[in-house]
Amino acid sequence: MGALQSLAADPATRPRSAKTRSASVYMTVAVGGALTVLGLLAPTAIHSPYYLGLLINAILLAISAVSIGFLAHQSGLMMFGAAAFTGSATYLYAIAITQFGWNAMAASAFTLSASTGLSAVIGALIVRARPLPFAMLTLALAQMLRSFVLITDFRPVTGGDDGLPLSFEGAFFDFSQAQLSKPEGFWPVAWLALCGVMALAWVVGRSPIGQVLRAIKVNEERMRFSGFDTYGPRVLAFALAGFMAAVAGLLTGLYTAFASPELLDFSTGGNALVSTLIGGVGTVAGPALGALLYVVGQDRFGATGDLEFLTGLGVVLVIYLFPDGVMGFIRGAVAKPGARDAEAQHGGEHAAS
Amino acid sequence: MAFLHAFSPAQFANALALASLLTILASGLALIFGLRDVMNFAHGALFMLGAYLGYTISGLFNFWAALLIVPFLLALLGVAFEYAAIRPLQKRSQMDVALVTFGLALILSQLVIKIWGTAPLAVTAPPSLAGSTDLFGQPYPTYRLFLIAVGFSVCVALAAWLNYTRSGMNVRAVSQHPTVARILGVNTDRLGLLVVCMGTGLAGFAGVLAGPYLSVDPALGGSILINCLIVVVIGGLGSIGGAIAAAVAFGLTQVFGSLLSPTLAVMAPYLLLFFVLLWRPQGFGRGRVG
Repeated sequence: MGALQSLAADPATRPRSAKTRSASVYMTVAVGGALTVLGLLAPTAIHSPYYLGLLINAILLAISAVSIGFLAHQSGLMMFGAAAFTGSATYLYAIAITQFGWNAMAASAFTLSASTGLSAVIGALIVRARPLPFAMLTLALAQMLRSFVLITDFRPVTGGDDGLPLSFEGAFFDFSQAQLSKPEGFWPVAWLALCGVMALAWVVGRSPIGQVLRAIKVNEERMRFSGFDTYGPRVLAFALAGFMAAVAGLLTGLYTAFASPELLDFSTGGNALVSTLIGGVGTVAGPALGALLYVVGQDRFGATGDLEFLTGLGVVLVIYLFPDGVMGFIRGAVAKPGARDAEAQHGGEHAAS
Repeated sequence: MAFLHAFSPAQFANALALASLLTILASGLALIFGLRDVMNFAHGALFMLGAYLGYTISGLFNFWAALLIVPFLLALLGVAFEYAAIRPLQKRSQMDVALVTFGLALILSQLVIKIWGTAPLAVTAPPSLAGSTDLFGQPYPTYRLFLIAVGFSVCVALAAWLNYTRSGMNVRAVSQHPTVARILGVNTDRLGLLVVCMGTGLAGFAGVLAGPYLSVDPALGGSILINCLIVVVIGGLGSIGGAIAAAVAFGLTQVFGSLLSPTLAVMAPYLLLFFVLLWRPQGFGRGRVG
């Protein structure tokens, strides 16, 4: 285990005394739980439906970003085409409602399980690819799905370039369609989903499987040589990331009640990717923070048309100056001077992998 | 009969016209990847910038001037790209550099929209190429024939340079074994600069050529980039010959596929890409493993 520990030289798992480690776990769980409960009260504090809607957009983006960040941090694989996984979930949900005539609960369960299953199959095929081909494969997958839904022959099912409007009867848990389409009605669903996805990413990251995954990222050959299965855990990580992305896609379907080909665009996946990079992949909270910053920036600069320009500039600057993103920068600034060397060393290792 | 009709010389020429544009772009992309190990996601944006500059300069002077000036301007941009992005990031992972070029693509496309707006612009072909020519008994736009001729001449010139000159030999050497080539005294930095300039210059050249063939609009970059990546990957990353062959195959599938089975035509390039990346990462050419 000693070799494994040094392989996974990560701030979160760096050997510390057992006491401080369990103390920090309790702290994180307590703070996370408190924030989850506090967040539910947000609609009472934010009265403007506009800003609440903005925050919901941030949450939807954050869930995809957490999914990209999870896979990037645990497996070193960057999803360029996250839109393939979020968009296909929205479409699956829309098709289950409009074509199969299922109720919202059945359609949602179907969406999540089918998306996760599909991700597992796709993952089984593509996780062996090296990072650059992997990025191109996911990008091509998104483009392929986008072309696929636009094919005229499938228009009755996918709606072609008009998209698929949908409305469900009955209720999703206790919410009706009308409630979910309002920001204050949708808020608890979105917020709890974000907290759940972040908790899932955090728990898996800290579990033994997370440790094995990061060790594989650093040196796959040595892990295989040491008797670890290096394929299964990566497929699992990919399926989990696909599941998280499907949650984002399902929420989009519930909130907007519409599936459009735009959801599969390069730029949709690009937004989530940029959020992840700006936030930094080293932590679970980083991508979520990046998504918040991105949506706020979109609100401030979207109207002037400078958004993409600033986004591009942001990406370039972040990669040049803060390879670990805004969160990495904050952690670096907060970390004790002694820990900073280790952090820098970790950063170097990260860039080389 | 419809089936036979699809295989007319005119359709064949359409496929070649699309392919010749893709080969110019893809060979630039393949060269940069071969020498610099950089997957340039900004290549589509550079192509689009070339098309817009081509529009402005052919308005100011004429089309032929644009065909000379724009590649030169884009090559200058390539110098900046090499010094500002590629060299400082040489020690970073392939992925980091790819992401930087992705950011640059966003910046470039936004600059283009700021300067030229989002409305599609039309570039007219020069008078000598504006009409149509008799192609096996059918009239066919002369400009497309010109496009085919120029595209494939560029490829032949490039292949001749790579195979029969000293600098071309060095380029091949560096893209196969950078370290060994450096030990044997090849100046990889100077060669890298040359190749990056050439790649961006070719993107500009393709942009000007595309002007009268496609309409010039901001979506030009994104759509061609994906096609270009597919062509480069299928041809074998870093292999020029492979890229040319893949571009021709791509053009043929797109044109004839859309006549025979549109569904298949849309999906075929992606399916081929998946197949290549998963089972034959070196592509069908003799490229290096991606």
